[in-house]
Amino acid sequence: VMADDSTPDANTVQALRDVANRLRIHSIRATCAASSGHPTSCCSAAEIMSVLFFHTMRYKRTDPEHPDNDRFILSKGHAAPILYAAWAEVGNIGESDLLSLRKIHCDLEGHPTPRLPFVDVATGSLGQGLGAACGMAYTGKYFDKASYRVFCLLGDGESSEGSVWEALAFASHYGLDNLVAVFDVNRLGQSGVTPLEHCTDIYQNRCEAFGWNTYLVDGHDVEALCQAFWQAAQVKNKPTAIIAKTFKGRGIPNIENAEHWHGKPMPKERVDAIIKVIESQIQSNRNLTPKPPVEDSPQISIRNVKMTCLPDYVVGDRIATRKAYGLALAKLGHANERVIVLAGDTKNSTFSEIFNEEHPDRFIECFTGEQNMVSVALGCATRGRTIAFVSTFAAFLTRAFDQIRMGAISQTNINFIGSHCGVSIGEDGPSQVALEDLAMFRSIPNCTVFYPSDAISTEYAVYLAANTKGMCFIRTSQTETAVIYTPQENFEIGQAKVIRQSVNDKVTVIGAGVTLHEALAAADSLSQQGISIRVIDPFTIKPLDAANIISSAKATGGQVITVEDHYREGGIGEAVCAAVSGEPDILVQQLAVSEVPQCGTPSELLDKFGISARHIIAAVKNTLMS
Amino acid sequence: VVALDGDTKNSTFSELFKKEHPSRFIECYIAEQNMVSVAVGCASRDRNIVFASTFATFFTRAYDQIRMAAISESNINLCGSHCGVSIGEDGPSQMGLEDISLFRAIPNSTVFYPSDAVATEKAVELAANRKGICFIRTSRPENAVIYDSGEDFQVGQAKVVSKSKDDQVTVIGAGVTLHEAIAAAEQLKKDKIFIRVIDPFTIKPLDSETILKNARETKGRIITVEDHYPEGGIGEAVSAALIGEPGIMVRRLAVSHVPRSGKPNELLKLFGIDKDAIIQAVKSVVSKSRNAE
Repeated sequence: VMADDSTPDANTVQALRDVANRLRIHSIRATCAASSGHPTSCCSAAEIMSVLFFHTMRYKRTDPEHPDNDRFILSKGHAAPILYAAWAEVGNIGESDLLSLRKIHCDLEGHPTPRLPFVDVATGSLGQGLGAACGMAYTGKYFDKASYRVFCLLGDGESSEGSVWEALAFASHYGLDNLVAVFDVNRLGQSGVTPLEHCTDIYQNRCEAFGWNTYLVDGHDVEALCQAFWQAAQVKNKPTAIIAKTFKGRGIPNIENAEHWHGKPMPKERVDAIIKVIESQIQSNRNLTPKPPVEDSPQISIRNVKMTCLPDYVVGDRIATRKAYGLALAKLGHANERVIVLAGDTKNSTFSEIFNEEHPDRFIECFTGEQNMVSVALGCATRGRTIAFVSTFAAFLTRAFDQIRMGAISQTNINFIGSHCGVSIGEDGPSQVALEDLAMFRSIPNCTVFYPSDAISTEYAVYLAANTKGMCFIRTSQTETAVIYTPQENFEIGQAKVIRQSVNDKVTVIGAGVTLHEALAAADSLSQQGISIRVIDPFTIKPLDAANIISSAKATGGQVITVEDHYREGGIGEAVCAAVSGEPDILVQQLAVSEVPQCGTPSELLDKFGISARHIIAAVKNTLMS
Repeated sequence: VVALDGDTKNSTFSELFKKEHPSRFIECYIAEQNMVSVAVGCASRDRNIVFASTFATFFTRAYDQIRMAAISESNINLCGSHCGVSIGEDGPSQMGLEDISLFRAIPNSTVFYPSDAVATEKAVELAANRKGICFIRTSRPENAVIYDSGEDFQVGQAKVVSKSKDDQVTVIGAGVTLHEAIAAAEQLKKDKIFIRVIDPFTIKPLDSETILKNARETKGRIITVEDHYPEGGIGEAVSAALIGEPGIMVRRLAVSHVPRSGKPNELLKLFGIDKDAIIQAVKSVVSKSRNAE
């Protein structure tokens, strides 16, 4: 790192100031053209962006996605116009294209999405960028062992989000000295002042208490920013926070530091005069070139991860799918060295501990911080650097629904395992029970929802997830169940298995996980009474094998029963109803958990909540009578 | 009655409550998890009737807290604004597209989706008096008032807003899509095609009786249209409610993939939930049935 990096010469300093003002002008013009957007939020960050993009960060400007590049996350995503403005100054976007901000045909959206090559993770839901930055930094330091650094720009209003503090704790715990967080403390939120306004010393105290090397700077002082970024790069074993005191709407007369201007473009009758004032500060047209990166990140591949050998189970073995997942994941870790696993202090329950035992350097303990865990996974998986699996209790993934939602907008490929699904977990009771997780993951675009019912299908689900684009969710159970497939069985996404059938089947019963086994028990009992039923294992709830279900339903007089260890809404029942609702004569009875459950043994609870073999039998008989 | 908001009061309009009752408004700043937990605490031991508001999509940030609130048997009321693609240019990070699903999967919840100002006001009153978690989904764009201020509204009671003896299809919409359906009905009349339009008012509980009765009067044909993803929303609620009834077919229009920035009406069109998409669906359903006959 060159000495003049900390103290650039006077010409460079002026050029950086000029870029900042050009960024302001671009942001103001673009939001005016769009008649919406957040120019004042952009103006407070202008010097920070200028210094980062034209002095501090090292990247290939013609190849924004290159793995050697320094990474930048705009956590305060509503300042998108200034991010686009920076890339226009870099030369990647035409200045006139900036004026198409927020238009339907233009990828310069209201908040950044990875439709743009320089956006790794979508932002706009506040407080999530720093966790993703942690994931990138962790990957750079511990997996890639490369020189790239990670920069994250946050707003002060967004620092009220707990997820920011989860990320701060994580970063210092893991010594992410390649990570810099910049807080744009402009005092003003959306609908009023922020809690701490300009008390930057409180931000500093908090960041230091969280173990960060922290600097307080005037956020509009280019020289101070250059100095702070340079110093951050000298500090080992601690991440750096730069608390930048700024003014919202900086540079705009009568609007700078004034309330009620969040999210408002400049009034059309004032904009020309405003731009003239800012332009008058610009002294030169000097173009600055970003520094190229150090090229030391390893060549890797995360494609076509193959099963090294068939699953090692025999029909009739009894093993919980959560344990089968743990074993499968450890096996997957041998098949590709970029498979990583994240856990939220539940590794002994989800069995991700088996992966930790065999590949300890690829296991990231995220402690009891699920929001941050998901964001870290997102960051780790950017630029295709890792294949990430996040494991915790399925119920606790609800803690990270917003992060998961944003993951879809980020077009991520991360995988989730949620264990301990349904009332069948037994005595721990409803707080630990997932009964809405299928609904949650089904509502995520491009998400594959696996619900394997035995150890063999669980192992196949893990390999499929590793090779499938979009997020994947695998729902695993706590209780032991029998292996019902042979190791050679072929599994595909969207392909159900008909595991019991005959020409006399009266009803099609669809179950998954524990309820598939209840359905098999019901089938056995009914066959002794001379009644035969077809039993289907959907394997994936999304996409659902509608064709198979419809043809089975038609072969069984249009009679379908679904049974799930999940609430009624949004789960298997509704998925099946939606799939067959174009067929007028298919009728579906839905068995599901219909109220908040309680403690009990697994079998007591399955029975009390209407989803045991006994209830399936009753439903079948009820169907036959009507 | 106390109100909480997460630094969106000028967008959710909880600021109007703040102006009139400043001592009963709690600014929770940008921290939705905590806002929901604080709401549950305020409502415990029945010390307050609590309304907490933010953008509908940001309730996903507090899903675990909402889930636990149901286990806590809380009576909090949550209002989520800025639902759907119809918010326009801010783009998908701000759009509520999974919130109906989220709240439907909460035990003992009530999900209100009022389509005009009168219905919204009644929803607020009903929520204040109703046990369990209540969710009210509100929209950003302006739309017409379609109900008389004296109209009676009840939980689980749908309204038939457009009806004739020649109706061929029942169309169910809510919020912006109810207004698109009403516009579609007007335009279809010119082609001598008549449709029945239903406003469900509450998605949970759903007035399946009214929907079934009207569906039977329109040859079993139902089209649902929602500014929401396909999963867990109005379409799936209707399909699931009627799936025990023979002769009923449901076609669902919804937002099928991650949206983008754009003008509201452009987005409604791009994602196939506007007046024209409804008209096309109606014609397709009618001609398909004709061919089948």
